[in-house]
Amino acid sequence: MRRVAYYKGCLAGLSARELDSSTRALAPKLGLELVELENVTCCGAGDIQTADPDYALHLNARILSEAEQAGLDTILTICNVCTLNLRQAALQLGDAELRARVNENLSRAGARTYSGGVEVTHLLWLIARGEGLSRLKEIAVKKLDGLRVAPFYGCQLLRPSKLMGFEDPDRPTSLETVIEACGGEPVDYPAKTLCCGFPILLAREKTSLAELARPLEQALAAGAEAMVTSCPLCHLSLDAWQRNAERALGRKLGLPVFHLSQLIALAAGVEPAQLQLSRHVVPLGSVLAKLSSPLVEE
Amino acid sequence: MQVRLQIRRSDPATGETRLQLYQLDHVRPAATLLDCLEEIKEEQDGTLAFRRSCREGICGSCAVRIDGRTALACRTSVAELLAGGRIPLITPIGNLPLIRDLVVEMEPMWQKMRSVQPFLSPTSDSPGEGRETVVSPALLEAVHKEALCINCGACISECDALTVSPEFLGPHALSKAWRLVGDPREPATGRRLQELSREHGIWECTRCYLCNERCPKGVDPRDAIAKLGAEAFAAGVTRDRGARHARWFVTSARTTGWLRESELVVKTLGVAVSVTKIPLALRLFRRGKAPLPLPRHKAKGLEPARALQRIVAGQDRRGARGIVQGERVLARIELVRVPEPPEPEAEDF
Repeated sequence: MRRVAYYKGCLAGLSARELDSSTRALAPKLGLELVELENVTCCGAGDIQTADPDYALHLNARILSEAEQAGLDTILTICNVCTLNLRQAALQLGDAELRARVNENLSRAGARTYSGGVEVTHLLWLIARGEGLSRLKEIAVKKLDGLRVAPFYGCQLLRPSKLMGFEDPDRPTSLETVIEACGGEPVDYPAKTLCCGFPILLAREKTSLAELARPLEQALAAGAEAMVTSCPLCHLSLDAWQRNAERALGRKLGLPVFHLSQLIALAAGVEPAQLQLSRHVVPLGSVLAKLSSPLVEE
Repeated sequence: MQVRLQIRRSDPATGETRLQLYQLDHVRPAATLLDCLEEIKEEQDGTLAFRRSCREGICGSCAVRIDGRTALACRTSVAELLAGGRIPLITPIGNLPLIRDLVVEMEPMWQKMRSVQPFLSPTSDSPGEGRETVVSPALLEAVHKEALCINCGACISECDALTVSPEFLGPHALSKAWRLVGDPREPATGRRLQELSREHGIWECTRCYLCNERCPKGVDPRDAIAKLGAEAFAAGVTRDRGARHARWFVTSARTTGWLRESELVVKTLGVAVSVTKIPLALRLFRRGKAPLPLPRHKAKGLEPARALQRIVAGQDRRGARGIVQGERVLARIELVRVPEPPEPEAEDF
């Protein structure tokens, strides 16, 4: 078992608890021991990075320090936005002078200090290549029966690529690799690397919904039966706000959206109750029926 | 070296758009895409329209989309584009009206740039007859990156918010705006921040980072927009919904550690507008997805999170300086080279 520091972020403890429960259920199958970080806060979500950027850096430094103090060299995230913010802070804190200043403040605040070197990675990155992928192929025994799944990457796991660097930000393949390994059929469409509109969903709803409608419409037009995303913020837009996008468009969409962990867990035969699929706003009944598995809830 | 390019041709008179394949048989290996476009125009087809001037990444004239990604033709090695036997697809930059072939109308970009008054405001604090205002290099550090802009339009070509909301000021104009707001000589920063906080300003950016990704000069326009937001906070210009949204994350971190998600809508939109979101809230509630405000989802070890906010508030990295300290470090990191893209699907001619 590989021990990693598990930073689940805000939403997986709130409206996206199904992401947390499915990740926890899946982890042992993937050979991961999740050590949940305590004494940590929100990563800033890009909002604190704008409102009070110095505070945001310190909050992230604290998260990194908690992983270090737990003797772990890798933080595993399940959110695009957490990944960007933590990676950005980790890279910035590679600078000795900046790190010294931040550490002095952490000490004064009664927090632990950070000496550097913790790697921040997303679950998708762990399983889309190498050993993680081999493991995924081994555990994905139930298979998705050729289910046509549209990958949705969103923004902040791809860009800025100088901070992320896992794959080509314009022609990523990791989600497709995972869908295939799970026995699904990836559906291609142009908006898979564009924005879901989440960051301005409340502040600029019209702009946001116009962004949100594109991947949903395009994926359906390309024949998708479901969508999968690596980010709980994208998921909240794509699933919970899909009805609002429908209203803006004036037509029905009804595309079910999986969290990455749920899709894999489904293929790996994880106990359905732990996926909490009934928490989704767009019902997954059609997908589960097609899989004709004993997974259908209720 | 043989080079084949497919170029999107368009004629506004007829409204006709088509792809045209060109082939060059003797291209030197170090040639740029611009070299190839010029050879096509000189040797094969004088009707092909594109812009160019300096040939060395300074004038900002030759931005085009290459297999979808916006870049300067003069800074793009054609040999790299041909990897794997591909035929690169060259199209005009996006989010601007098309004139002909690879030439777009830049006027909407200039209009937005003019609207942010890209010059220092007049001031009565004259340094005195025969003297000049002295600005140290350290003071200009906050606007150094934005000053590198060459007005090529690469950042707006794919800007996601601009694509769906054409009135958005966009990354180009907002970077220019920061160039002025962040300048120590500028007296009217408060007024500027008020104006930039309007409907299509700072808070309409959706943080897709396509501008940072495409800028050929490392301006990182999204970071400039974040600097404007940070200075708006430092100046108390926080009435916009976007600012209220951002502030709620700070309040949440300080008080419960995690986001107080259930209160976010009311804190961002106010009570009156939030009423319109009741159907959404009910939908989430029925699915067990609406987190209740009480009991609060609190992080452990909260005191240091509170103390940190107090401590940094009293230090000299308020506002945009909190961003500048980090970008100074990141400027020293080399761009990560990502794997070669797979071959794009061939298009029909």
